Amino acid sequence: MKSMMTNPMRDPAQSNQADESESALSALLDGELGDQAARPILKRLSRDGAELSQFREYCAIGDALRGLDRDMPGLTSRVMAALEDEPTVLAPMRKASGRRPVLWLAAATVAAITWGLWNTGPREAVLVPLAATQRANPAGTESGNAMPYLAAHQDFTQAVVSPPEMHFTKVTLAGAER
Amino acid sequence: MKSALLLCLAAFGAQAADPLSPADAAAWLQRMSDASRHLAYEGVFIFQHGNAAMQSLQIANRPAASGKDSRLTAMDGIQREVRCTRNISMNLMTEGGHVRVERRLNNRHFPDLLPANAGALANWYSVRLGEPSRVAGLDCQQVELAPRDAFRWGYVLCAEKDTALPLKAVMIDEAGRALMHYTFAEIRLGAVPRSASAPMPDMPAIARPVATERVGVKSLPPGFTRITAVKRKLPNKSGEVEHWVFSDGLTHISLFLEPASHPVETMRGQSKLGMINMLTRQVGPMQATVLGDAPWPAVEAIAMNLEARQPVGAPR
Repeated sequence: MKSMMTNPMRDPAQSNQADESESALSALLDGELGDQAARPILKRLSRDGAELSQFREYCAIGDALRGLDRDMPGLTSRVMAALEDEPTVLAPMRKASGRRPVLWLAAATVAAITWGLWNTGPREAVLVPLAATQRANPAGTESGNAMPYLAAHQDFTQAVVSPPEMHFTKVTLAGAER
Repeated sequence: MKSALLLCLAAFGAQAADPLSPADAAAWLQRMSDASRHLAYEGVFIFQHGNAAMQSLQIANRPAASGKDSRLTAMDGIQREVRCTRNISMNLMTEGGHVRVERRLNNRHFPDLLPANAGALANWYSVRLGEPSRVAGLDCQQVELAPRDAFRWGYVLCAEKDTALPLKAVMIDEAGRALMHYTFAEIRLGAVPRSASAPMPDMPAIARPVATERVGVKSLPPGFTRITAVKRKLPNKSGEVEHWVFSDGLTHISLFLEPASHPVETMRGQSKLGMINMLTRQVGPMQATVLGDAPWPAVEAIAMNLEARQPVGAPR
């Protein structure tokens, strides 16, 4: 878990400016920037509304993953339980690129919680993280979010295991391409 | 293939007895089903799904004229309660000082997992008596339900020696691996729990019947029938969807239908141990999501047998 969180972040792709600014935000959030490096970014944040909202989103996801978000009670424990329970789903994600590490991780976590999603084509028998699937087919994002269906189906199954409402909306939206 | 067969044999025990006759099988199933609703008991059971963390729940059931009257209380995690009568089932969740109440569409829960007419299950599962065992300090008889085809998971139940109340239920895959595990840690039979039914709060129905059907199912796996078809809202999702449920009495597979706002790519989903399978595809103008705690062939068979229907009398 730890290594997965850090690996992509240590090696951010810097192919264009957008990626660069995202990497900088991510590094800022992770406390990897010193005061000198952080100052200009904070300054830029105060001017750039889009970047600021992205930073807020990163913070919300980070908070959610650390269990600090009041809107998502119990998320952390469910994520941790899911991570423990789903090692083979997570494994292929190590190979994914390091782009947009925070969002990528959040979306991948959602995928790990319940589903390994993959195309049904015969050549595609490899587990693909949800985020990657969505990137390939931005129009298909809605179908990628299985949580509401799973929650509704629980009426007919175990009934008592986890709350029927699972507040993953924010995390899932963050995984979608803008 | 061969190794899978060997595993199956191992799972069901080399010394397991021959399958019960259909009449005996039906009688065992019916006894277990009746006991879980009609007996008075209270206790604590543990639930585990795959390798995930365990959860413990307190349960109280008392016989009621209408059928069942049960109350489940989660003992760890979020404060949560499930109350069921024969007709109504609801979740009560306490978060941040507020109690949120939600209606459930179904009143199933451990140990009341078998359907009211459980005898019919013998058509789709072969039933054997396994080893005598002991659960929560009580002697019980293992009863093994092995599916007769690839469309359902197997179960091992442990029926209390005198009452046949299931003290344990394990859902197993075709290789005999446990997918889901319920077991009583303590139980008091014949206890008279305080009323499970503090009056249930009023709440709006979450579902209403489906008026027109734009999708049909050409055929279903053996034993499955449609038990529910409603329109409902889903948690964290805007708009209403149609929710259909197909069941053989023990296995439940949901179908969700909603207008496809864009071309839907066919997607398959699976949980880690393969217990839950899912397929999303487009059927005519609709997006169809088939989802169930059932083997892939069952989910696939239902998903692939969906076809678009012209609404009767629809304007052209």
